[in-house]
Amino acid sequence: MVNIGIIARQRQWYPVLKQAVTSGWLAEAWEEQVEGRIKVYEVPGIGALNCIMEKALQGGGTVSLRTDAQGKSMGQATLTVRVEVDRALAERLEVPLDEASQDRMGTIPIPVLAPSSL
Amino acid sequence: MPTGGKITRIAGAGGFWGDQVMAPITLMEGADVDYLTMDYLSEVTMSIMHKQKARDNTSGWATDLFDWLEAGGLKLLREKSTKLVTNAGGANPGACAEAVLGLACALGWVDCQIAMVVGDDIHPRIEHLNADGILTDLSGKEIDESLAGRLISANAYIGAGPIARALEQGADIVLCGRVADASLIVGSMLHSEGWAKNAVAAEAPICSPIESWAPMEVLHPLDIVAGWTLAGHLIECGAQVTGGNADSWADISDLVNLGYPIAEIAADGSSVITKPEGSGGAVTRANVAEQMLYEIGDPASYFTPDVILDITAVSLDEIGHDRVAVTGARGRPRTDTLKVSSCYSDGWFASASLLVPGPQAIAKAKATDYILHRRLAGLEELVIHTEFPGTGITMPKGGIELQEDLPEVMIRWSVKSPNRTDVEIFSKSVAPLVLTGPAGVSGYSARPRPRSQLRFVPLLVNRETVEARVDIPMLRTLRKALTERRPNLEAQVFNRLQRISENENRIITKRIAGRVLRELERPIGRGKVD
Repeated sequence: MVNIGIIARQRQWYPVLKQAVTSGWLAEAWEEQVEGRIKVYEVPGIGALNCIMEKALQGGGTVSLRTDAQGKSMGQATLTVRVEVDRALAERLEVPLDEASQDRMGTIPIPVLAPSSL
Repeated sequence: MPTGGKITRIAGAGGFWGDQVMAPITLMEGADVDYLTMDYLSEVTMSIMHKQKARDNTSGWATDLFDWLEAGGLKLLREKSTKLVTNAGGANPGACAEAVLGLACALGWVDCQIAMVVGDDIHPRIEHLNADGILTDLSGKEIDESLAGRLISANAYIGAGPIARALEQGADIVLCGRVADASLIVGSMLHSEGWAKNAVAAEAPICSPIESWAPMEVLHPLDIVAGWTLAGHLIECGAQVTGGNADSWADISDLVNLGYPIAEIAADGSSVITKPEGSGGAVTRANVAEQMLYEIGDPASYFTPDVILDITAVSLDEIGHDRVAVTGARGRPRTDTLKVSSCYSDGWFASASLLVPGPQAIAKAKATDYILHRRLAGLEELVIHTEFPGTGITMPKGGIELQEDLPEVMIRWSVKSPNRTDVEIFSKSVAPLVLTGPAGVSGYSARPRPRSQLRFVPLLVNRETVEARVDIPMLRTLRKALTERRPNLEAQVFNRLQRISENENRIITKRIAGRVLRELERPIGRGKVD
């Protein structure tokens, strides 16, 4: 099981984070590595999501053959994937969008992330 | 937010056995703290320690502890009246206490009070517990008999109660086995805030719910226990909360001299996370938030032996330079079960790497891997996991795209098998690839030795069956004998030990006495510290 915390860089960007980072989005990004259920918990106090991905390490942290047996790099790795966000919501909350983004949806790098594992 | 009341300063100067050994010394030199906590245990550490202990009954504990205590740490603890609370005892708290007490005596601190928190080791009773249906997996299902029989260690996570009671009995140093990481901090707070004193006065059992130890006027003791637990969680991984392993790494100054965290904890459960002045790193909302979510699981229900912690409404506020206030933790009553850390041996494994240069680095690497797979194809139970580090094979889709080729690439194989010989054959098959595969492959070293693989198995046990206790009276007896320094010291020590009540471990006690007496016979100043 891998635990990835994703925290809004600015507390007021939390609605954008919630809209963009879902279990479906994570499942698609990690399709090749994660075999189990993915659950996204809300941590509204600090404007964060805590994502639990089961069967993500090919055998559990103590017996996995991966270089990163415990999934310690997966938080930072998730940061490399861009998300699509609602342009109107992002603009209202002053989330910086890519210039090249489309009319309705913009893309941004995910705001901050906690590289954690279980 | 803390407002003028009593503040207890607790440091977390280590995140695991393998962290920077001398960090506690640097921390104490840079700041005054009331309690120094050191977490040395991770999932498999207990099993590794049990294996060490089976080979040598003086080992099986985190010996890094001894190294920094000897290098000046013990002297600092004494001078600053800082209490040390640690789970360095691992699988063998008795041997750990023996070594530390011997060191204290050698350094002239003969009345150093050392307490052990023991009773976490349920392995000797494992099959009996399982037969009675007291042991289950995390979903509450009974485990099958063959698994119970294969376990090589099983330690229940003990809570804060026994730690607090050890401190209340006057311990300068509390050496625990498998206690929960955050409970090191919670136990210290129970002592500091007088809850342990209440418990002693009320003759509350040492493992009774700690919220029942709170003073009468406290309205929401579970929320306070939750707040202390959260403060503990925030500093239990050492410098991971002060800027280590942080997303903002590029903006953080002086990771070279990264400071370890201090939690300033209030009676009401709130805390401020900070670090020694002048140390490297940064205590920011983002860095603290990252640690807050570390291995937390469901943020509304983080289970510890003391409380179920809910962090969903917690606020983090930067209230000064390198100061983050933590408020809003909520608690629900602890469960009837304790988590058990257990392991069994699960076959053999080994890893090896080779460096493949361009041109056509990736194609060569894949060809090399293909050759190895084909040469080992007859070993049906051998599992080969291949990675090409640098090519993004462990990265998610939609992120950084792999270039068509790389100037060079690594191949890393990791294999496992129930049969040691399979793994040995693998380890002999790597170096030959240098002369029998594609051109330019290099970097082989000595044949990797097959290592026994430990599989971690988390279990649950009914907490009523785990009898945690504090072993301090025997040490007090011993100390008295030593400080009196009469002739026939040894005979007297052993005479006293024979009168010790039956719940104490006589074998360990005798060893401690012997060790201490040997230390006393040595010239003073033998250690690195005078």
